Amino acid sequence: MGKRLICQVADVPENGLKECETGDGLKLVVANAGGEFYGFQATCPHQEVPLCEGLFDGATLTCHMHLWQWDVRTGEARGIAEAPLQLFPLAREGDALYLAAAGGALDVGELFNGLAGRTLEALASLARPEAHAKGATLYRPGDPADDFFVLDAGRIEFLIGRGERSAPSGFMLKKGEVFGWAALLDGYPARIASARCLEDSRILRINGKRALAVLEQDSQAGFVVMRRLAALVARYLATSGVK
Amino acid sequence: MRIQVNARNRGYDFDAAPGEHILYAGLRAGIDLPYECATGTCGTCKAKLVSGRVRDEWPQAPGRKYVKPAAGEFLMCQCVAEEPLTVEVSKFVYPMEGGACVPQPASATLRSPHALTHDVMAFTLELDEPRDFDAGQFALLAPPGVPGYRAYSMCSHERGSRRFDFLVKRKPDGGFSQWLFAGNRDGAQLEVFGPLGKATFDPSLARNLLLIAGGSGIAGMRSILTRAARERYFERHRGYVFFGVRTLRDAFWLRELSEHAGANVEVTVALSEDDVPAEAKSQWPRLRFERGLVHEVAKRAMAGKYAELRAYVAGPPPAVDAAIRVLLLEAKLSTDNIRYDKYS
Repeated sequence: MGKRLICQVADVPENGLKECETGDGLKLVVANAGGEFYGFQATCPHQEVPLCEGLFDGATLTCHMHLWQWDVRTGEARGIAEAPLQLFPLAREGDALYLAAAGGALDVGELFNGLAGRTLEALASLARPEAHAKGATLYRPGDPADDFFVLDAGRIEFLIGRGERSAPSGFMLKKGEVFGWAALLDGYPARIASARCLEDSRILRINGKRALAVLEQDSQAGFVVMRRLAALVARYLATSGVK
Repeated sequence: MRIQVNARNRGYDFDAAPGEHILYAGLRAGIDLPYECATGTCGTCKAKLVSGRVRDEWPQAPGRKYVKPAAGEFLMCQCVAEEPLTVEVSKFVYPMEGGACVPQPASATLRSPHALTHDVMAFTLELDEPRDFDAGQFALLAPPGVPGYRAYSMCSHERGSRRFDFLVKRKPDGGFSQWLFAGNRDGAQLEVFGPLGKATFDPSLARNLLLIAGGSGIAGMRSILTRAARERYFERHRGYVFFGVRTLRDAFWLRELSEHAGANVEVTVALSEDDVPAEAKSQWPRLRFERGLVHEVAKRAMAGKYAELRAYVAGPPPAVDAAIRVLLLEAKLSTDNIRYDKYS
């Protein structure tokens, strides 16, 4: 696909927002944050509210409907927001903005987005893309927990318990969501749940030990990833009101 | 009827009574299912059917614009299970915290309805048994013969009380308010479900309070003021109350608000469509009066006073949206310090 024109730089007011659509129908919002331009999904990841109607102070975007907030430079969720923004990297050429190469599941994802280029590349080189049909089981309780997974597309359901007595225990549906993260922890060598594809799904499979070795080489990135992993695990422990 | 809800983080199952709306059955079981209005408007309680069959009791609900029926989506607040169900909710769902006021259905008797202005009426509900709620919460009320619940904030606050006070503004198309204003309803039996709502105040907050209310949005604010005053909260923290009405003729509870006003509590009445009458200030010396929209009056008065503060906002949606804009962009409050209910 050739490079895709988004809009003219002059179309996006200073510290303002503009909704744009590419020739092939991709909608996104462009934010002008003090002269730097950032592109992200056009509707709120919460409900289908147009984000161009949001409140933008030049750095933080707030959806007016339920006050979810993000840093537009990284897409990172702030405050009460429960999901990050999907970013679309932009390239400026002269007075126009173009869509740069779309981010992969790894760099839009909740664990690794925004890491230094070299570290992200090293992690990407460990990632093995896989496609699984609806109904396929990725792992079962007791299987070795060597790899973790990043969802690229589709929907994965988790079940605890075995066979007839198994009960649903959540699901993943967003590009960049990470599961099977026991592979990044010490002392959890086996799966405690099963993971099954609810739809045809594409995932990235990454070996946990090798990923940790990459993060050992860049302890700043390692710290960021571990902080995010701690927050992710805590989301599954929290009770209502202390999110 | 067995209901299985698969949420992003885990699954839940609970029973629904025959005819019971799925949302209310789950909340009653102590599961904090997503909702805001709980009455068919906001779309927050959207779920997706995985297996089973539901009956939609209000297919014209305004919140239906947020659901795709062809994809099996429906509003949990309006639908009843016709057979055991499995549904999917694309959100993180947690059990309610220990100590939360878990909502339950109740029967109640309406007592002492009385007009506060030409279009606002107050009344008390006597519940069949005592019930706890947090200051700032609301309940769903259904009078006899009027289909569906309407949501109203409690304006009192007392632990373990059977008496809940309410405020209702007359609306031309409001089923409940038309019923209430159409005759003397003293002694009428109502069905109640509650308490609901997360715009709650607890004294452990230990921050200054900013309360911005448009019209009948003052109901929940009075509950918060009552709770705070009883705990002597304003001996340690400041309070700023802004009550927006069109003209002085639309204002009420000025005596009660005067009693809250003091060294640490400023109460301002904002009149959007009329100049402040000269007699207002002499009649209510402890209150401030300003001409203007309530969010603009609050913005002028609050500049530089936003440190260590939590804001509560209630009223008609445009007033709430305008106030939130001020609180985010001018006051730079963090979102967890902005609590609001929109009445539509």
